[in-house]
Amino acid sequence: MHRHLLRRALHTSSSINPAEIAHFSRLSSQWWDEAGEFSFLHKMNPLLEVARDEQPAFNEPASSVLKGLDVLDVGCGGGLLSESLARLGAKTLGVDASEANISIAKLHAAQDPGLAQAGPSSLSYLHTPAEALLANPKRYDVVCSMEVLEHVDNPPEFLDTCSRLVKPGGHLFLSTISRTALAYFLTIFMAEDVLRKVSRGTHTHAKFIRPEELVAFFRKYPNADSPWVHAGRREPTRTQAEVRGLVYNPLGARWILAPRGAWGAAECNYLFWVRKPAAADERGHV
Amino acid sequence: MLATTSSRICRRAALLRSWRRSVSTATSEEWDVVVVGGGPAGLALASALGSSQLVRESLRVALVEASDLSKVLDWTPATGTFSNRASSLTHKSQAFLKDIFAWDHVDEERTCLIQDMQVWDGVSDARIDFSASLLGLGTLGQGMARMTENLNLQRGLLRHLSSIPQVHILDKTKVQTIDHAEASGDWPLVHLDNGRVLRSRLLVGADGLNSPVRSFAKISSYGWAYDTQAIVATMSHPPRGAFMGPNTTAYQRFLPTGPIAFLPLSPMASSLVWSTKPPLAAALVASGPAVLGSMINAAFRLPDVSMRYLNQFILDAHASGSPATAPQIQAEIAWRERSHAIDETSAYASASIEAKIQGIPPTGAELLPPLVTSLQPGTVASFPLRFNHTDSYLGEGTGSRTVLVGDAAHTVHPLAGQGLNLGLADVECLARCIQDALLQGGDVGSRTALLPYAQERYFENHKIMSVMDKLHKLYSTSFEPVVWARSVGLEVVNEFDSVKAALMMEASGKGLGESSVWDLLAKGSESLAAATNAAKIIRTGVSGMLVTAVQGVLKTATSTSSRKH
Repeated sequence: MHRHLLRRALHTSSSINPAEIAHFSRLSSQWWDEAGEFSFLHKMNPLLEVARDEQPAFNEPASSVLKGLDVLDVGCGGGLLSESLARLGAKTLGVDASEANISIAKLHAAQDPGLAQAGPSSLSYLHTPAEALLANPKRYDVVCSMEVLEHVDNPPEFLDTCSRLVKPGGHLFLSTISRTALAYFLTIFMAEDVLRKVSRGTHTHAKFIRPEELVAFFRKYPNADSPWVHAGRREPTRTQAEVRGLVYNPLGARWILAPRGAWGAAECNYLFWVRKPAAADERGHV
Repeated sequence: MLATTSSRICRRAALLRSWRRSVSTATSEEWDVVVVGGGPAGLALASALGSSQLVRESLRVALVEASDLSKVLDWTPATGTFSNRASSLTHKSQAFLKDIFAWDHVDEERTCLIQDMQVWDGVSDARIDFSASLLGLGTLGQGMARMTENLNLQRGLLRHLSSIPQVHILDKTKVQTIDHAEASGDWPLVHLDNGRVLRSRLLVGADGLNSPVRSFAKISSYGWAYDTQAIVATMSHPPRGAFMGPNTTAYQRFLPTGPIAFLPLSPMASSLVWSTKPPLAAALVASGPAVLGSMINAAFRLPDVSMRYLNQFILDAHASGSPATAPQIQAEIAWRERSHAIDETSAYASASIEAKIQGIPPTGAELLPPLVTSLQPGTVASFPLRFNHTDSYLGEGTGSRTVLVGDAAHTVHPLAGQGLNLGLADVECLARCIQDALLQGGDVGSRTALLPYAQERYFENHKIMSVMDKLHKLYSTSFEPVVWARSVGLEVVNEFDSVKAALMMEASGKGLGESSVWDLLAKGSESLAAATNAAKIIRTGVSGMLVTAVQGVLKTATSTSSRKH
């Protein structure tokens, strides 16, 4: 385990930070203001692109990759990603620790006849910490958590929770921000302090996690004997895990998912994908 | 802070409950895309959406039009007669219409390829000859653009749409009001005159210059009326004489009162677009088709000084209450020709046309359009010209989920026939953005889904529109240094093959490379315009400035063309 992750793990026992929840509750009414605070998030939907890249032999139309899959969106916020997933046919559950966020997400989805008609099996929301879901036997084909990891207090515990919610052979998607000088400059200094595009206090540099720290975590997870990603220094194979940079192009006002291994692309925002081995089950967890 | 948040949540929750109540009794219908306006742009958008399987499976699309579209669908014009509203469709527009399978339904027999363009200055006679074949552009016979009657296109689109039941056409239906209710999440509610209410995820304004959708979305627009009225008509003329090739050349002469254009429709019919001062347009139209026909022939042939005389003659006669008669005008034209030493066998003579429409054509006849013998009955019309561009193509706040296309978003000076092409390019882009959003699971009415459309089209349209506007202003003067600059500009361009090729490629919607030729033209016309403005103020040292301007044109031209090689 990386020292940085450990140090933080010692401070709190639950992954949820009350101050973070209060911060996002204050902003919750702005979730669906597409020109406002969260405009960057509205444009960030890289899941499908990765899914397509990972399944080049996919014969079906690209829009049906997720059809019928059980998908869990951890830290769904106002439901930006959850709604998209539901439209693509995924049986989506969005959970968030902020009650205000869940209210907003429900209200917004109720106004959309396409989502409302499809019913709760297609899209539902729950105000709960992700940890509470472990009590249910239900597991998911895809667990995703976009731009959440940098806000939690105990990343190893959070990662463990998310991983255990994935079905064997299922996928875990995380997008977050790397702990680099560039990330500090772009996401805190420029976005919060200079351009004021994002509320001050949204990000804390020390909480950012580097992609290699995530890979290192899964080299020993759930235990050193049968990890999700093979041990040693070799790059994870394409069937195990992948790190891809997400680069915001301010001119086009859109995110670009950098190709695998693009140099320097994962220095700020990045997407991490890892697959749970098909043989793994709950007993593997310590 | 927490207290306000929770009170807001309570309010939202109450709202949610009241919304659920209202839904149970609501009369509004749920639609994903409602297109208002059944003109070429609206019909093309409906066709484009309907031709995509993904859209057919995921979206409910409706098109609302006030008029009876079955009249357009049943349009059966007599052979040889043509509607007075025709547009030159670029290759890009044609390719788009082919991609959405709509072009198959357009009667290609009634369209006409433009192979050449002759453009000249009415004051200095400087001339550009655009020719598709001489420069070896494109494949043989592809031409530069295709003259197509708007009705032919609309009928083709409607025929195509009649094979797509998933797109609902609500014609003979007026939009009474458009509003929104907070309880419905501020989605637009379109109230129709038959009592139906359409709640739409995305509302598209394809409803023309005075767009009700634009008013609803409170999108302001800026613009100005040119002091110009455009006269349109379908002109009959004899076929091109021996050794002259077919009637596939478009002619445009820039007169100080505005450009006059002759656009081929068939061997014996062509379309007129004559932009001129409003009082003169009124007097010309009031004088009847015979006088107008003679004036069209003269306007392509007589020197500017004589045109000014004839214009005054028409205006005076109109003001006195007894409009000029055809014999009077023919006598005046004959007299002006004699004073310019134009022989009656010359290509530039048009006073008596009977003797000239047969036999071997005179020298230089290919530089001028065929002599007009008559105007098809009921085709003479005129309308004011405007420049209009909205501040945005997307509605915001209470007007969100609204997008504008075509004339509702922009009205352009018609001097390069780009209006409909811009509208079709809008439609192509919007349909693409809607499909992209569907592929991503996005909400097609959201700003996120529509922003790429606005970003791609706004600047592109603005660029072309500014060039048109600047050209209009540049050519509306007879002030001498400006005319000289103009003629140098035109002649330099005429000598400069790669520039010509670039211009023509773009006019036919087929860019040479990455950088758009309109950029080049925009830069060029901007520096010319700047120089000519300065010339009006400072008469001394003018030549230096003009040289700089022309050099500017050349510099952008050479750097652009060298980048391409």
